[in-house]
Formats: sequence, structure tokens, C-alpha cells
Amino acid sequence: MNSLWIMLTGALVAASCGFLGCFLILRRMAMLGDAISHAILPGIVIAFLFSGSRETLPMLIGAAVVGLLTVFFVQLLHQSGVKSDAAIGVTFTALFSVGVVLVSLYAQQVDLDLDCVLYGEIAYVPWDTWEWGGMDMGPRAVWAVGGVFLISLLVVGLFFKQFKLCSFDPAMAAAVGIPVLLFHYLLMTLVSLTTVASFESVGAILVVAMLVVPGATAYLLTDRLHVMLFISMGIGVLCSVFGYMLASWLDSSIAGAMTAVSGVLFLLAFLFSPRHGVVAKAIAQRRVRVQNRQTKPASH
Amino acid sequence: MADAYVFRIRNGLFAGMLSLAVLLAGCGAAQTAEAPDGKWKVTATTGMVADIVKQVGGDHVEVTQLMSAGVDPHLYKASEGDIKRIEDADLIFYSGLHLEGKMVEIFEKMSKKKPVKAVTAGLSKEQLLADPAAPENPDPHVWFDVSLWMKAVEQVRDDLSAFDQAHKEVYAANAEKYLAELKQLDDYARTELASIPKERRVLVTAHDAFQYFGRAYDVEVMGLQGISTAAEYGLKDVQTLVDTLVSRKIKAVFVESSVPKRSIEAVVQGAAAKNHTVTIGGELFSDAMGEPGTPEGSYIGMVKHNVDTIVNALK
Repeated sequence: MNSLWIMLTGALVAASCGFLGCFLILRRMAMLGDAISHAILPGIVIAFLFSGSRETLPMLIGAAVVGLLTVFFVQLLHQSGVKSDAAIGVTFTALFSVGVVLVSLYAQQVDLDLDCVLYGEIAYVPWDTWEWGGMDMGPRAVWAVGGVFLISLLVVGLFFKQFKLCSFDPAMAAAVGIPVLLFHYLLMTLVSLTTVASFESVGAILVVAMLVVPGATAYLLTDRLHVMLFISMGIGVLCSVFGYMLASWLDSSIAGAMTAVSGVLFLLAFLFSPRHGVVAKAIAQRRVRVQNRQTKPASH
Repeated sequence: MADAYVFRIRNGLFAGMLSLAVLLAGCGAAQTAEAPDGKWKVTATTGMVADIVKQVGGDHVEVTQLMSAGVDPHLYKASEGDIKRIEDADLIFYSGLHLEGKMVEIFEKMSKKKPVKAVTAGLSKEQLLADPAAPENPDPHVWFDVSLWMKAVEQVRDDLSAFDQAHKEVYAANAEKYLAELKQLDDYARTELASIPKERRVLVTAHDAFQYFGRAYDVEVMGLQGISTAAEYGLKDVQTLVDTLVSRKIKAVFVESSVPKRSIEAVVQGAAAKNHTVTIGGELFSDAMGEPGTPEGSYIGMVKHNVDTIVNALK
């Protein structure tokens, strides 16, 4: 039962991050998850200074607020003409440094690492259960991550056309009267909620990887957005199941193994994708060369 | 075909009955408080905690340690096998006071369902050190005051006895023997460290894991970082330390087994620039013990190593 809960949690995290990651990749903001993982440091320090405790709830609130701030700053800088990667870099280093300064000023004597007070560990998910009215409702992480996943699915599902057009051709979207900025901010809010909830449940590395790798893999396999979304979610589930099996076989970190599997799946797609893969391209080039050779005498 | 089918059903029934019997036997065992193979499975987080349980539990426990030698407990990453090691344990002991980070919250939740005990649970507020700005979050490195760690031994003895009353006397006797050894260790540390002139009795290390040590044995402790291994040290910290080293003629600074050396080396170079020679006095064990099988692989050996290293370098 424990392993099932862990695989389910891993699958939910991977699918919800993979799903939103597709949009981030299209907008060239794939490293936003990594940025958020660092930028929330001042959030937990301020939450600690206010509450005086390192309990999960105040830490989570602090992280969520600063997570939202991060994505809003990134979006604001980006739409004012700063390149997206630079906007991400500037925002997260600025916020992270504020956190480091705050720790050194006010919290020298208290252990306030993100690793220690916020990031969860997927191995402990089965025991961190949610009790409601005396009933054991199963792991808290499943509810938290499942909840934000449902919200993302609902929002993106309702406005799929708008999100699609905003990602591929914002100018066109604006021309047909879609409030592009609103949808950008909406997407960024979903990303922030999903990452912070996932950090708290399973730790940073899995989330950062799942925002990038499944989407990037799906991008190699298809040219259609809705297919890409489904493939990325499927890849997320595969990573979780095979990653857990790998971790169990090696007795290693579970999040680490799931991330490693995602890397392997990407490599396979990179090599063997029917249209964009290295092998397929090599074959296609060879065919062109052979054709050229055959048609050469005729051209003389 | 039909025969095979019947055979399968019969087999299934048999297996079912067998597992039921095993289950009942298991329940019976729990009621008479007797471990199935005569040994309780106890899982401990750090080496220091595992050592207490081994000493007090003796032949009646089989101890599994989650964090191996040299691992920083603040940054420990669980592996897949840990789920089984935690799930299968009859009893779990951890250090507590947030040393194990978020794991402590999980343990607190689990304690409703199975005996999960913090060895530091019995320490009172007066015995703990905390930043006045954050009184609710005491420093977790209590094991370097041997007299406090003796309280942890008593805690383990009481928890084991309450869990397995049949062997109460054995645990009490084991604990008494271990406590006597720790008392000797405490005296040894106190007399050895007192042989360093007070002016030079200053312990300079990379992170503040030695506050309890300093209070117990009257050693001034100066660290570069705060408690958190993530906090960066400031330029001013290095400068102040260098000035103190020079003005008080302190001969050595120390590195720690679970913290990188780099930060403390900056201090050595800073002092050299002011024509004061400071050596690196040796490596101290802070958050984890040495490799199993070596003298430093036990709690007593680790404390002795630290005391001897400090005395040799500063005297």
C-alpha cells in the first residue's frame, strides 16, 4: 500500500508539472520551477519571523505568497521587454539574496534551510495522512497535489483555445480580442501554486525536472498542443512507476530515481522520435542523398 | 482442467488458513510482549541515537540505523529501503528538536500509531539552549554535553521498559552500566579541557554545533556560520574571528566532519596575513559519528576524539 501511495503521489506531481510545463516550454520559461525553488527562501524566513515556528502551515503560506510574487515579477519584467531567461534569472537571484540576508540578520541561530522546513520527501508521503472528522483520508500530499492538478485541468480545459493561441502567437491572440496578459498571469499563478504544493509534498528536484523534461520529450514526439499535453502527462506517470521500481531495486532516493527515468525517456525520444529524432533525421538525409545521386546523371 | 481448478481452490484455501494462523500467532506474540525471534526491531535515525539503543537494549534489540557515518542529518535524503526500515520497526527512536528536519513532523504523526520516541523529549527548557529571539526553537546538538546525553539514555531506558516490561531489569542494568561509562567520559572531558589555560580555551569551528559542549566544559565557542548549514558566513564574521585569534594567541582552529573545510581555511589565511600562525587543529565530529568499526564509530569514542583533538591542539 505504501508503494502505491508513493507512486500515485509521484504520478500526480509529474502529470501536473508536465502538463503546465508544456506551456512553459512554448513560452521559453522552462526553468521557472528552478527559479521558484530558490526564490521562496525569503517567504519562509518572513513567515518564521512572524509566527516564530517552523511548522508546515506558516512555511507553506510564506512560500506560496513569495512564489506568486516571483512569477508576477518574471511576467512583469518579460512584458516590459526583458528576455524571459534574464527575467527569471534576475527575479530569483534578487529574491534568494533577500532571503540569505534575512537569515544572516535574524535567524542565525535557527536551522532555516528550505530543505529542512519546507521541502517534503516522497518516501514519507504514506505516513503524512490527513485526518478529517476522525477519519483517515489517506496521504495529505495526494489531496494537496491532486487538488491543484484538478484546478489546473479545469482552468486550462475551460480556456484551452485562449491558452493555445496566447502560447503560440500572442500578437494574433491580442488581435482577435483575447486578454493575453490575463491568461499569462493565470498560467503563471497555476505554475506557482502547483510547484509550491509539490515542493512541500515531494521536494525540489522532482518538481523542477517534471516541469521541463516530460514537456520537452512530448515536444519531440508531436507538433499538436493537445497531443503534447497528453503525452507529457503519460510520461509523468511512466516516470513515477518506473522510477519507483528503480529506487526499490537500487535502494536509492525515490525522487532521484524518478528524475533519472525521465532523463532516459527524453534520451529515447531524442534518438528515436519518428519525425524529430536523430535516427529518423539521419535516415531521411540518407534518402535525400541517394535520390540526389540517382537523379544526377539526368541533370547533366 | 476441472481437477487443476479444484486443486487451485484447495491450495488457495490452504494458503489462506496458513496466513490466518500466522496472523493469529503474530497477535498472540504481541500480547505476551515477546518479539517473534526474541529481538525487537528498533530503527534509529542518527548514529548517536542508535548507539544508546544498542547499549541499553543489548541482546533484546536489533538496531537499524538510517543515517550512516558522515551524513549531515539536516540534509539527509531518504532511500526507498527506509520506508521498510521505518514501517517494519517495532519501535523508533530519533534525536528530535528538529535535528531531523521535516522527518520530525512525520515521526510526531506516526507516534499516534506506533511507539516513536524522541530521545531528547525529557530535557527541560532550562537545560536547552535557544536564541533569545526564537525561544521555541532550541539548538538540537545536545549530545556534546555528556550529562545531557545521559538524560537521553535514561529516556531510552524508560521508553524501552514501558514497551517491553518483561525485560525491564535487563534494560535498567544495561543503562546503569552505560551511564557509569558516560559519567567517566563526562569527568574525563572536564578535567582534560580544564588543563588548557582559560585564556586560550577557545574553540573555533565552521558551524555552531558546539554550544552545549562549550557551556558544559567551560570552553568559549566561536563559529563562522550559524546553526543552519545553508546560511552563508559574513565577511565581518571572518574579520572578527581573525582579530580574536591574533589578540588572544589562539593556536588552532578546527574543521568538522560534515561541513566543508573551505570556510575555516579563510580564517587561517587571514591570521597568517597578520603574522600569527594558526594551524588546523584537526577534524571534529559534529553531526555524525565516524565509520563503524573505528573507535570514533561509537558515541564515547567520538567525544573522546573531539576532546583529545582540542586539548592536543590548544594546550
